[in-house]
Amino acid sequence: VFLTMAVSWVERVASFLRSPSRFLASTTAEVFLVELLREQRDERLTMLSPLCEHPTLLCPSACTGEETCLELMSVFSHCPPKYTEFRCQLLLTLTTVLVSTGCVSAHSHASRDFLELLLKLAQDTYYDPADVPSALRSTRAAACECLRELEACCPSLLSQHLELLNGLRQQENPRHHQALSGLYAVVLRNGVHLLARQAGAGPEGLKALLGGNAAVAWEAEPDSPALTDRAAPLPSVLGPSGLGPTLQTGPDCKELRSVLSSLLEESYLLTPLSQAALLHALTEVVAMVSGVSPAIFKAQLLRLLGTSKVCLFHCTLLMKAAFTDSLFSAEDEAFLLKRLVALCQHPQMSTAAQLFYTDCLVHFPENRPIGAADGGEALPVLLTPRLAASLVPTVFDEPATMLARLNVSALVHLEEHGAREGGAAGGGLAYLWEHLLLRLHVVEHGGDRAAVVTFFRASFLFLCHFGHVERHAADLRRRLCALYLRHCRLAPHVLNLADRAQDGPVRPGWAVALLRSLQGVAVSAGGDLAAVSQKDLHWHLRVLARVAEEGQIGQGSTVDFLFAVATAASPPSRNEDWRLGSDLLAVCRHLLAHPGLDALLCPLADVLQHVARHHGDTDVRDHARLYYSLLTALSREKLAGVLANGGGGANGGRQDNKRVLSAMVVESQDLTSALTIHKARTPVFHLVAKDRAGGWAEPTPAPEDDEPSAGRFAALADVCVPRLFREGASAAPPAVTLTLRPRAPYPGTLRCSAVFTAQDELTWHAALPDVHVAFRQLFKPLPVPASWGPALRLRAFERLWDDLFCGRLGEAELEALLEEHFAPFRVADPGDATGHRVLLFIPPGSHVLLRIRPQEDAVQFHMATDNWRLLPHVNDFLLSVTDWEARNGVDS
Amino acid sequence: MSIRALWIITHEKGEHVSVRFSRRFPTVEYRAKSLAGSSYQAVPEDSAVLQLLLTELGLADPGKPYVAQRDDCLNQQRTPALELHVDSSAKGILWPVLVISRGPLILACLPLVEAGEPRPPLSSLLSVSQGLTLLEGLQSFLGGSEIKTDGDGLAPRLALMPSVLQQVCPLGTPLDVPQARAPSTAGVPAAAGSPRQPAWRTGQHRGRPAVNVALTETVRCMQYGDPSKQDLWDVYGTVTCKCDVEGVLPNVTVTLTLPPNGSPLQDILAHPCVTSLDSSILNASSVDDGDGSAFSGPYKFPFCPPLEPFKLCSYTSQVPVPPILGSYQLKQQQEVNHLRVSVNLKLHESVKNTFEYCEARLPFFNRVQMSIVDVKVSSGHLDVNKEKNLLVWVLGQKFPKSREVTMEGGIRFSGQLPGPVDPLCTDLTAYIKLYFKVPDLTLSGCSVDQHSVQVYSCAKPKIVTCRELQSKEYFIWNSTGPAPVSSGYYTA
Repeated sequence: VFLTMAVSWVERVASFLRSPSRFLASTTAEVFLVELLREQRDERLTMLSPLCEHPTLLCPSACTGEETCLELMSVFSHCPPKYTEFRCQLLLTLTTVLVSTGCVSAHSHASRDFLELLLKLAQDTYYDPADVPSALRSTRAAACECLRELEACCPSLLSQHLELLNGLRQQENPRHHQALSGLYAVVLRNGVHLLARQAGAGPEGLKALLGGNAAVAWEAEPDSPALTDRAAPLPSVLGPSGLGPTLQTGPDCKELRSVLSSLLEESYLLTPLSQAALLHALTEVVAMVSGVSPAIFKAQLLRLLGTSKVCLFHCTLLMKAAFTDSLFSAEDEAFLLKRLVALCQHPQMSTAAQLFYTDCLVHFPENRPIGAADGGEALPVLLTPRLAASLVPTVFDEPATMLARLNVSALVHLEEHGAREGGAAGGGLAYLWEHLLLRLHVVEHGGDRAAVVTFFRASFLFLCHFGHVERHAADLRRRLCALYLRHCRLAPHVLNLADRAQDGPVRPGWAVALLRSLQGVAVSAGGDLAAVSQKDLHWHLRVLARVAEEGQIGQGSTVDFLFAVATAASPPSRNEDWRLGSDLLAVCRHLLAHPGLDALLCPLADVLQHVARHHGDTDVRDHARLYYSLLTALSREKLAGVLANGGGGANGGRQDNKRVLSAMVVESQDLTSALTIHKARTPVFHLVAKDRAGGWAEPTPAPEDDEPSAGRFAALADVCVPRLFREGASAAPPAVTLTLRPRAPYPGTLRCSAVFTAQDELTWHAALPDVHVAFRQLFKPLPVPASWGPALRLRAFERLWDDLFCGRLGEAELEALLEEHFAPFRVADPGDATGHRVLLFIPPGSHVLLRIRPQEDAVQFHMATDNWRLLPHVNDFLLSVTDWEARNGVDS
Repeated sequence: MSIRALWIITHEKGEHVSVRFSRRFPTVEYRAKSLAGSSYQAVPEDSAVLQLLLTELGLADPGKPYVAQRDDCLNQQRTPALELHVDSSAKGILWPVLVISRGPLILACLPLVEAGEPRPPLSSLLSVSQGLTLLEGLQSFLGGSEIKTDGDGLAPRLALMPSVLQQVCPLGTPLDVPQARAPSTAGVPAAAGSPRQPAWRTGQHRGRPAVNVALTETVRCMQYGDPSKQDLWDVYGTVTCKCDVEGVLPNVTVTLTLPPNGSPLQDILAHPCVTSLDSSILNASSVDDGDGSAFSGPYKFPFCPPLEPFKLCSYTSQVPVPPILGSYQLKQQQEVNHLRVSVNLKLHESVKNTFEYCEARLPFFNRVQMSIVDVKVSSGHLDVNKEKNLLVWVLGQKFPKSREVTMEGGIRFSGQLPGPVDPLCTDLTAYIKLYFKVPDLTLSGCSVDQHSVQVYSCAKPKIVTCRELQSKEYFIWNSTGPAPVSSGYYTA
């Protein structure tokens, strides 16, 4: 049972490590952590890996981290020393959990206890004969490594212990001197770094740092910034942007110098990896302390320059970058460079190492750099063509090596001959050109995918460097076309090169010229379509689709070719081919957006119509019909906008292979979207009434009782405003003249909406804020002929006055009217036979007074009231009781 | 100087890809997060990393001829560090992912960048060379170039990875590379009170003291038989030692000597166990014309040997002539499938005429099988391989007295099956590849005298030295066809 359980645990752990997210989907981190910790009691190594690799998943909070650590420490304390490997692993796991969950602080019990434990273990000189002192086979070495990592993550955590660590390092027989030296170097480096950052720190600070010897730092100085603020890991001092902080110490740094010397003396005893790390840390220290001369490294240099190990030689280069001519004379520099060039192609170096060295060469740390200081590539001045000759690419090089060497050789050639047209100057360019042709030869003769990709990458690199050399640029173009003609399947590569050349640093125009040539190659196939294979035809159409994106390239021949393809009789199967039809339409689509469309209109319409009628595939037919409609129904601008938006456009679709099969569906959706009028949720602009007379500028609010309705005015025709928003915000908005034809003489409200095409080329419908037409805005002068003089106008007024305010009633009719409607309200005045008086009292407190005076054939109504709002109603009433309206057609 | 994560992946030509081992280092990740600030990108799970890696390496979707992300000509992979685009944003990038790939094995790691934005140059990061060293060490531990398929050897080695890493890279900072062989059983720890022991010499040798020094020179060659094309050859040597000597810090000195007038050894690289080097040793370089100092030895290498065999040093040398000068003429006869072959090989007089083996191989690409081979050789014998597309001319242990051998005859190709394809060797572009090994010979003349090996230890060890010359990539191209090389000399 135990065995099965063990096996199942190994599997569970493995499954967790494979994909923690999937594993935790079926259980929770909490449960898993509890199970893991329970199993730790059996001292099984694998159980620690989940915590070691994904501590933050299992301990999401500092609190869980702390608890887990306390638990693990109790496991450690109960674990007998003979289980060295497990104990080591426990220490490593504890460090990992503490650091990653952010528990390292003086306030954390776990970290206090753990640090104490580690320091105790580091001082433990207990000698176990079975303890093989290899890199990390003992708890003591493991403890040192944990301390080093804690210090790296929380700088100056151990700076109070430098003296102690130095003592341990120099013990009579330190069997773990590598671990102790590494630890000491990191603590020293961090201590000096933080000191150098402090304003006003000087030799005393350094002395105090080196002599720091707290018994237990955590309790002695709980306010240490490292513990309270949890200092962040320190970046490298030797950045490319120059040196970091420096500590002004004066020339007297005896203690530091002696410590450095002793570390350097023994550096030989360290493994190359630890040695490089140590030397790098010490380089940083010396770079920060002005009082120590870099010459302290001198004794190590020859050994390092002769080394076969990448990390040690690299460390020397970094030293050179840090100290330049204070450690490396001009002669040394020349020597180092020669050595580096030799290493770039040394037969004993691995490919990766050669590549790395080549990269170091183009970032060579010169004593007096004049090249790119921004971290870009630049050749060292001392790199002569003679030196670089060993770095020329050959056809047997691996792709990465070849590209790296092509790059360096090209830089060397350009450095030597400048950017001018190559001419006969130098065989370097000729060599590189021939090399490119060799790569092309391989591609032409069935080179595999890697060879093809490599050739195109090399071509791009060559163009980047030598695109200005017209001779080669043009030749490459010709050869690419020839290659395409023979191997149409390489179309995506050729087009990719064209795209990149167009976007990139290659001389403008090259890509367009290439595309133009490709167009020639593709359309030339139209001569004998029956001889072109289905696949090649597919590629031709793909190429033409890309060519059609170029506004500078005439598309006449493309349309002719499309027509030939669309109308070709043989083989008949082609007419059924959805894919081919779709490819053909893809070209049409780009042509629809081409700036030279006007010239193509008829032939393109022919192609589309032919496809729409005769293609065997319904989908293709429908699509052709759609394009045909678009072509014939939409304005150029709208069409371009619709197509640019509808995907598959210049940038969106070019790279996306997935589009090929679903293009139609996607496109239909896109087109629908482009052609649909979208509802805008908010009004995007509003109409402001503009008064030519200057009397009013803002629309006045409509009367409260006004019911906006279309009935008040005759329907308006749509107003078309081209380019609503002109360039520049300061430009005045366009003025629109609306001619309103009122149906009734009342103030009213105009409901407005706008249909417009925005910059995204989608068409929108937006309701605009209502425009109110005020009563006074309805006033117009009397529409009489302009020839009428004042006398005529006066007569007109008088006539109107009489007409308007005279009811045409007979005496008897009047009497009947008064009797019928006003009898209770009449106020009799026997003395006045000329008229009748009517007084209406309208509760709660309004009065209407009428004086009705019969004339020869009419009746005048004089009206007075103390509430003008009653007037319309009185008017209505009078209208209803008389029949004037029918006779006069006007109201008062 | 640390790495954030490590992956070991196997594949078979892009198929059956799987992450066989991976390890993350959360404390380094903690540092990475803090140092990178807003540009921090976490390491995704293995399956995602695998996919991204395969895309960058050009191995993803092996069935598809063109995949934009994979094959874009803008991806100029000129360094051992890749960029993995975790998501489409400009920030979602893992860099620098170091990858070394050989055969079915891909090893990758992500070194810590101890700087924020902007991205520092690769060459300014010590963690990169550290990572490369670790990866190369792991590669040779896992079987180096000999790794073939899964079953033999790899699985047990992979099973050792957790404990191996616990020793060489416990918390993400590489301390050492794993030893390819299990620790020597003879090694015992040093007793207290003895001098400091190097960290790379894990114990002491107990038993019969012996020192083995083997000098192997390798010659590579490209001969075109065409005055317009420059023949190229180079020679490099490696001194391998196995020192079973007692003591905590034993001192051994090996001295390489050249004959009088021998051209100096160049580009010397020494193992880190070499305690000191003379500047005159390092001066000669193959990449310049030399400064005329003409130091030509003796080359002294004092060192404290590790317990396991190691490469003490390596060098390159310029020799005036290649050891075997050849000419190869392949001519098309009237019939399309009929070739006339004529080969002449001449052993240089300075080369000892005693081979361990010597054979010339004439492969034929882009053709059908050979049907009739009517070829005579003046020495040795001729074999045709089973697939009938390769002639093997076995020259045996000796060239004849004249030091010259010839092959003449005609070959017809009219078999049924197509032979192997090589896009380089089309039409009459063809080569002969020579394989030979000559014991007790170096072209540079370099030698290690048994008596010059000095061992400072109590017991006098048995000292054995040997040397040999071997060929590698020794090509003789058909002079009647175009050779795949840029013509002329490279002169910038």
